[in-house]
Amino acid sequence: MNERPPPPAAPPAEPVFRARGLTKVYHSGIDVEVRALNGIDLELFAGELVVLLGASGSGKSTLLNILGGLDVATDGSLEYLGANLSGADERELTQYRRDTVGFVFQFYNLIPSLTARENVALITDIARDPMEPEEALGLVGLGPRMDHFPAQLSGGEQQRVAIARAIAKRPAVLLCDEPTGALDVKTGITVLEAVERVNRDLGTLAAVITHNAVIAEMADRVIHLSDGRITHIERNAARRPARTLAW
Amino acid sequence: MRPLDRKLLRDLTTMKGQMTAVGLVMVCGLAVMIMAHSLILSLESTRAGYYARNRFADVFVEMTRAPNALRSRLEAIDGVQALDTRVRGALRLNLPGIAEPADGFILSLPEDRPQQLNLLHLRAGRLPEIGSRREVVISAAFAAAHGFRPGDTVEATIYGARERLRIVGIALSPEFVIEARAGQIVPDPRRFGIFWMNERELATAFDLLGAFNNAVFGLAPGADTRAVIAEIDRLLVPYGGLGAYDRGEHPSARQLDDELAGLRVSAIAFPLIFLSIAAFMTSAALTRLVRLQREQIAQLKAFGYSPGEIGLHYFKFALVVVIGATAAGVGLGYWLGVLVVGVYHRFFNFPELVFQPNWPAVGLAFAASAASSFLGVLGAIRQAMRLPPAEAMRPEPPADFRPSAAERLGLARLVSPAFRMALRNLERKPWQAFFTALGLVFATAIPILPGVMRDGISHLIDFQWSLTQRQDVTLGLIEPASAAGLHALERLPGVQAAEPFRAVPARLRVGHREHRVGITGLPREARLSRLLDAQGRPAQLPLTGLLLSEALAGMLDVRVGENVRIEVQEGRRPVLEAPVAGVITDFTGVGAYMELGALRRLLGEGRTISGAHLTVDAARWNDFLVAVGEAPRIGTMTITAAMRQSFTDTMAQMMGTMQAIYYGFAIIVAFGVIYNGARIALSERSRDLATLRVLGFNHREVAAVLIGELALLTLLAIPLGLALGTWLARLIVEVSATETVRLPLILTARTYALAVLVVLGSSGLSFAVVGRRIRKLDLLGVLKARE
Repeated sequence: MNERPPPPAAPPAEPVFRARGLTKVYHSGIDVEVRALNGIDLELFAGELVVLLGASGSGKSTLLNILGGLDVATDGSLEYLGANLSGADERELTQYRRDTVGFVFQFYNLIPSLTARENVALITDIARDPMEPEEALGLVGLGPRMDHFPAQLSGGEQQRVAIARAIAKRPAVLLCDEPTGALDVKTGITVLEAVERVNRDLGTLAAVITHNAVIAEMADRVIHLSDGRITHIERNAARRPARTLAW
Repeated sequence: MRPLDRKLLRDLTTMKGQMTAVGLVMVCGLAVMIMAHSLILSLESTRAGYYARNRFADVFVEMTRAPNALRSRLEAIDGVQALDTRVRGALRLNLPGIAEPADGFILSLPEDRPQQLNLLHLRAGRLPEIGSRREVVISAAFAAAHGFRPGDTVEATIYGARERLRIVGIALSPEFVIEARAGQIVPDPRRFGIFWMNERELATAFDLLGAFNNAVFGLAPGADTRAVIAEIDRLLVPYGGLGAYDRGEHPSARQLDDELAGLRVSAIAFPLIFLSIAAFMTSAALTRLVRLQREQIAQLKAFGYSPGEIGLHYFKFALVVVIGATAAGVGLGYWLGVLVVGVYHRFFNFPELVFQPNWPAVGLAFAASAASSFLGVLGAIRQAMRLPPAEAMRPEPPADFRPSAAERLGLARLVSPAFRMALRNLERKPWQAFFTALGLVFATAIPILPGVMRDGISHLIDFQWSLTQRQDVTLGLIEPASAAGLHALERLPGVQAAEPFRAVPARLRVGHREHRVGITGLPREARLSRLLDAQGRPAQLPLTGLLLSEALAGMLDVRVGENVRIEVQEGRRPVLEAPVAGVITDFTGVGAYMELGALRRLLGEGRTISGAHLTVDAARWNDFLVAVGEAPRIGTMTITAAMRQSFTDTMAQMMGTMQAIYYGFAIIVAFGVIYNGARIALSERSRDLATLRVLGFNHREVAAVLIGELALLTLLAIPLGLALGTWLARLIVEVSATETVRLPLILTARTYALAVLVVLGSSGLSFAVVGRRIRKLDLLGVLKARE
């Protein structure tokens, strides 16, 4: 692994995502409206590592879900590389997720009946230009354990399989929702290292949700959310290597 | 309402599809159970009331001629409580507008003494007046078939003499609940009727004045029937007694017994199958529910609910289904019962046959389904009761998987990851897979039963009336005739071929087993009325010995080569030991057959005949009928095509009704089982499936993962189901075989194909329903929830 801290990425001119006035309203019960997102304006760029920071209910998961094509906004527009995502139908969103997005969830969501290698192969089977499952697992340092079933792996190992599964398709975007939420510090750091490495080596735009402010130090930019709005965006002068983090 | 019961109702609402599937299968079993038990009750109580009220006789006997003076000696037999002596004979009817002649029995009604037994139940009109002439009462079924009313007249030939008879009454008799010709099993009321006439007039017509040729006995309670029969036979030897018999050998009573026996099979076999399947389904559904509600159970326990209360809560799920299914089963069973009673009305002549629901059977049905589902959910309930709260509140550890057997055998490279998931899921929960597969096996097996019934009926009809009986007409003479009699029949207009037969009543004995049966003598190379073996090949009559119906050989427990004691009940009443030379296949009634010459030698007769089987030129059919109508010595005429028609109309209709019921049930079971299995698989796999959708799999790809598993089970279950269905069909054909009718076991590719089609169709439909659910999977919720 590279010992030097990663150089700050210079933002390129054309954003990967461009959100304007992005709003999401949930109707829970009669006449009860929850504004999960309330007019978000945001641009994310290729090769960036951003952290979305906010309290529970701040709208960060909703934003991530909309970016990932799991949900659609009620109002506002979202463009991916100039293509309008806000008007996409279910079939187009499926295709978008399939080709473009890698997901990592808090609870791993591995298929328990498939081995690590097979969980990754599940994705490489349907992707356009995938790497070999072995290569993806190697990137997250799981080469020797790839024939184990999820039940035979530790939490950190399972999460790293989930990362390998997310990156095996060489996604343009890697979205991680509380990837360390269910893990202890040591394991959490190995997982963050894997995210960091994918972002650096493959140039993937990575967005990580967390409510752990320490993790924000490894990002290029930190986006603070509260009550469905972006309160401020800070740019770190230097990304701190994940392995030096502690909480 | 207690909160736990409110939870029950809400949970049931969300599981309504599955619970309905389980309930429907239960409804099928309960409906058959209630229908069959209620029909048994209806028939038995109607029969018991009818037999008692109208004093149905216990013992019956026919003889050539016995003087009235013998009456007092018969009455004096120990155990005899009542006696009626009668004149009984055949008559032929010349009905205007009916192409084929009809015939029937005519029985005397006593004039000088009250009638003791087999009292008529008058539907309309009155009995003949004492001393009246040519007044008759006719049977209700015959009257209905022809629209006869009291006051109408009918022309008949009685013992060779033409008479115009005046109908004064229309009646039923407990002797003729099933009103069919001797040796035939299906009623044909257009061509066969029962007549009653004053004794003196009828005795005069049959040249039996001061004598009788038929007697019926009522026995005292506790009388020894066998001893009474033996004494009657002894007394009647000099008078040409044909051997007394009891209700067990009385054609109408016997057939009613056989119908009841068949219902008893249905009342047990089908509910057993359906309720077992329902129990498996309940078990699978509730086990899954308990697993899903693991955390809720832990919380309830943490709040202080006892394991017993929680166990009861989950048992109530099954109980609600059982109560609903019992209510629906009673309704459906009642409706089906009324439907079947409607068919019975064409078959059984009772003064009043109404469908009576058997309420104790409803209670039994409720208890049986409650018990079966309780057994089914016991495992799930125990699991719920045992769960320690602290452990249950932690998420379940990831399921432990390992490579499946197929992969360990090195086939891993051949299968896709989706298929691998299916294989491993099945292997990891072998019991669940086993029960789902078992349900599918039954779902495949059950449609085979109605198929076998359908093919059995059509084979029976073809076998009986195309392969075996190839004559157009069978003529029976009023009494045996010599060779000249055959020539007279051969010379009837239009007759192309004639084959004589000689029939005598006899009692066959093997050890302590015995059976009253007609022995028919046929020419060795019979071409019209043929005897066939099980493979449908003509069986040649041996020069010595007998051929027996396979069923008769079974009843007598006699094998080919063993001896049977033949006691002829006519003429000189010879007794002979003869070997069984072979068995023949027939499906209605039973019979014994000898070579014509051998039978005549046994009887010590010359070239006698009882009648002949004929083929008749269709172009001269009307001339033939006219000539038969004018021939005084012809007693009965049976037209093969008409017999076939009446069988198709009655027996086939009755069986057809049952067949339709079972087809309906088969489809319900198939769909219910597969749908239930699919829903359970969906619920277990929903997290995996939602994950796949998030990762970019489309609906079809995700559905393929789920359906792969079910399809694998279905494919595995189909051959086993076909085997089980074959076995069940064989079992049911065997246990429901009676002397009256035995369905052949005919297994056709069509039956199997239809069974497979039912299962695949149900699978397709279930998969479509589940596929729609996959579209509605909550992608976000499933990712937040813990396993």
